[in-house]
Amino acid sequence: MEFFRKTLDPVIALAAIAVLDIFLFLQLGAWTVGGGETMMTGLIAEFFMGDDLRRIPFWQLVFEPDAGYWKIYISLGMLFGAVIGAVMSGEFFIRYPRRLSEWIMITIGGLLMGIGIRLAFVCNVSTFFGLTPELNLGGYLAISGIIAGAWVGSLIYKRILGV
Amino acid sequence: MSVVGECVLAFVFGTAVGLLVQRSRFCNTAALRDAMLFKTYRNTKALLVAMMILTLGFTGFITIGEGNPMRFDVGLNQIIGLFLFGIGMVLAGACTVSTWVKAGEGNVGAMWALIYTFAGMFLFSLVWSFIYWPPAPAAMSGEPALEALQLGFSNAATLQEKTGIPAIVFGLVQFAVLFAIYRSIVRRERPGAGRMASIG
Repeated sequence: MEFFRKTLDPVIALAAIAVLDIFLFLQLGAWTVGGGETMMTGLIAEFFMGDDLRRIPFWQLVFEPDAGYWKIYISLGMLFGAVIGAVMSGEFFIRYPRRLSEWIMITIGGLLMGIGIRLAFVCNVSTFFGLTPELNLGGYLAISGIIAGAWVGSLIYKRILGV
Repeated sequence: MSVVGECVLAFVFGTAVGLLVQRSRFCNTAALRDAMLFKTYRNTKALLVAMMILTLGFTGFITIGEGNPMRFDVGLNQIIGLFLFGIGMVLAGACTVSTWVKAGEGNVGAMWALIYTFAGMFLFSLVWSFIYWPPAPAAMSGEPALEALQLGFSNAATLQEKTGIPAIVFGLVQFAVLFAIYRSIVRRERPGAGRMASIG
C-alpha cells in the first residue's frame, strides 16, 4: 500500500491529527499524554507496593490509580499504531543508543520530563494541542517554559554531542 | 459515555495518531530543537498548522458551549515544569509522543526514556507529598492565589463570559498570529531569500 511505502508529509499528518483531536475534544477532552503516563506510573507502583502506595498522599489527593482512566489508552494506542506503521513499512528493527553519553542524556532527559510533567500538570502535547488552542493561560505559561527549556537543552546537546 | 466506551475511543484515537506520526516522522522535540539548532522547520510548520486548525475548532465549539476544555488552576509551576520538560525532551531526543512512537519502532533508547519518565513522575509524587505544591485539584478555586504562586483559571470560555465577545473572535486573533509565524518561516525557507535580503 502506498501509505506504507512513502513518508507522509508531516503537515498533512498533523492536520489530520488536529481534526481527530477536535472530535476527541467534543467527546472526552483534548489530546494529552502526561496524565495517562502518570496513571500508568501509579498502577505500576501499586502493582509492586500494594496498599503501601496509599501512604503517599499524592496517590490519594492528585492521582488515585484507576485502570479505567481513558488517557492511558491514548498512549497504548499510539504504541500500537506505531508498531503497525513500522511493521507494515518494514521500518521495525531493534536499535540501541551507541554511546554511553547518549544513555546518560536519555536517562537524565527522561527523569526531567517526568518531573516536569507532574510539576506543570501538563506535557508538550497538552500545551500545543490542548491548552493553547483553548486559549488557556496555562498554555502560554507552558510555551514560554518549554521554549526556554528547549533552548537550554539545545545548548547542552550541542556541547555534549559537538553538533 | 461508559468507561469502556471512553477507553475504546481513546485507544482508536491513539492508534490513528501513532500511525500518522510514525509514517510522517513528526517529532515535537525536533519542531523546537531543529528550529533553534539547525534552522530547519519541517516539523515546526506542521506543529503550527495543527495549532491553527485546533484554535479555530476549539474556540468555535467553545463559542456555542460545546466541547470539554481542560480545567485546572495555573501558575509558576507551568513555567518551571515545562522548562525542565523542555531540557529533558532535547536531552532524551524525544517528547511524550515520540517516546511511544519510537518505542513502537523498536528503539530501545526511547523505551529507556519512557521508563525514566515514569521514574521521574514517581520521584515527584514523593516530593509533592512533603511540599503539597502545586495545589491538588481539590484545593483549586479558579481564582488567583498569589501565596501559592497560582493565577487561577482562564480560557476561551471565561474570556467570552467576562467580555461578552464570542470566543471565536479571540481564536481568530490567535490564528492570525500563528499564521504570521508560519508565513515568516515559509518566506525564510524560499531559495535565495537570504541572498535577496543581503542584496537589499
